Amino acid sequence: MSKTENTSKLNGRDLINIGIYSAIYFVIVMVFAMTGLIPIMLMLLSSMVAVFGGIPFMLFLTKVKKPGMIFIMSVIMGILMFVTGMTWMPIVVSVITGIISEIIYKSGNYQSISKAVLTCGVFPLWAFGNYLPLFLQRDQYFADRTEYGQEYADAVMKLTPNWMIIVLLVLTFVCGIVGGLIGKKLLKKHFEKAGIV
Amino acid sequence: MGTYKSLLDPRTKLLLVFVEATFVLATMGGESMELFRIIFTVVPFMLLISSKRYKTCIIGLMVLFITWALEYIAYPHMSGMLSYLMLAVITVVTRFLPAYLMGSYVIQTTTVSEFKAAMDKMHVTDKLTIPMCVMFRFFPTVREEKDSINAAMRMRGIAFGGGKVSKMLEYRIVPIISCSAKIGEELSASALTRGLGKTNRRTNICKIGFGIWDYIVFIFVAVTVIYWIYGVFR
Repeated sequence: MSKTENTSKLNGRDLINIGIYSAIYFVIVMVFAMTGLIPIMLMLLSSMVAVFGGIPFMLFLTKVKKPGMIFIMSVIMGILMFVTGMTWMPIVVSVITGIISEIIYKSGNYQSISKAVLTCGVFPLWAFGNYLPLFLQRDQYFADRTEYGQEYADAVMKLTPNWMIIVLLVLTFVCGIVGGLIGKKLLKKHFEKAGIV
Repeated sequence: MGTYKSLLDPRTKLLLVFVEATFVLATMGGESMELFRIIFTVVPFMLLISSKRYKTCIIGLMVLFITWALEYIAYPHMSGMLSYLMLAVITVVTRFLPAYLMGSYVIQTTTVSEFKAAMDKMHVTDKLTIPMCVMFRFFPTVREEKDSINAAMRMRGIAFGGGKVSKMLEYRIVPIISCSAKIGEELSASALTRGLGKTNRRTNICKIGFGIWDYIVFIFVAVTVIYWIYGVFR
């Protein structure tokens, strides 16, 4: 073990860890994402992802010791969102937020708990990419979704004036911090005792 | 999974998943692509039959026919909130079902080594493919754990309507994560004994290559894309 510790290159174990935690993260996120059909829930989606995803993500961060791991996980989330039909924008957003959260966690030398909580706030912003088509290509978004019915379109329109984009961004960030704090508490209470951390 | 050789190359399957995601699920191109959308709704069913997954196919067909029946028979007689709800259900089913069936076809008929071989041929970096391989291998495990933990917690009354809703988060998510993380460590150990930790290039015994069906799919997808671009610039 000690021989591989000093290198900063990702090895097989790290890559497997990324895969495992992405799977756990995505399953938990998906359970809540299924409620996105109701207009209000659609808006709360990224916040819910942030809160509930915070717990597995904090555990993932304890395994991160090398640059690149958070970024790869973020990109995988973006690709999964593309495959589930959210257009190409989530990929771009996930690349950007991945880099930012990577830098934040690196500034704490991959150890600082407070930096980890902050990373938890930034990372779930990938989910925010799902909303971008809603704001940037408003007309096309609804032209493509006429089958949802005019009522649905009206309900979504009413909930999404343009300033809402800022509110959502901040809300997701705050919820991410909350999720990180919950995760930190659970980490102490359960995972350390179970010997996973 | 057996020794059955599937009809399509893994790369073609991935292409089809992307096409389903863009044209059927995200309804790219709007109304003008309706004909292609119908064809792409049929494609997953044909693929499922070709790989002898009759059960999935029949269940999918039944769901599709019920939604179509609702759309054309029941929907015109509805109004107000109910019709809006029903329309939402109909749309979601008709849009998600083909993509979902396509995804389940790909996952059921592609082994992890085939996926890896395909990604290697496309020169995608290991740093992205290994996590994704592990993830697809791991999804069923996490889901299994989730189901059994839910069953155990229901027995203790920690469920909706069980009077302990506030404990749901902690008592359900925490065990899922602990179990999965433990299993993950074992998985990682077993993968490392098979040489995943080495930086050398690994060999793969899977032989993949394009056949006649792959070219038919390529041509059809090309026609779809050309038609779509033509429609955009018209």
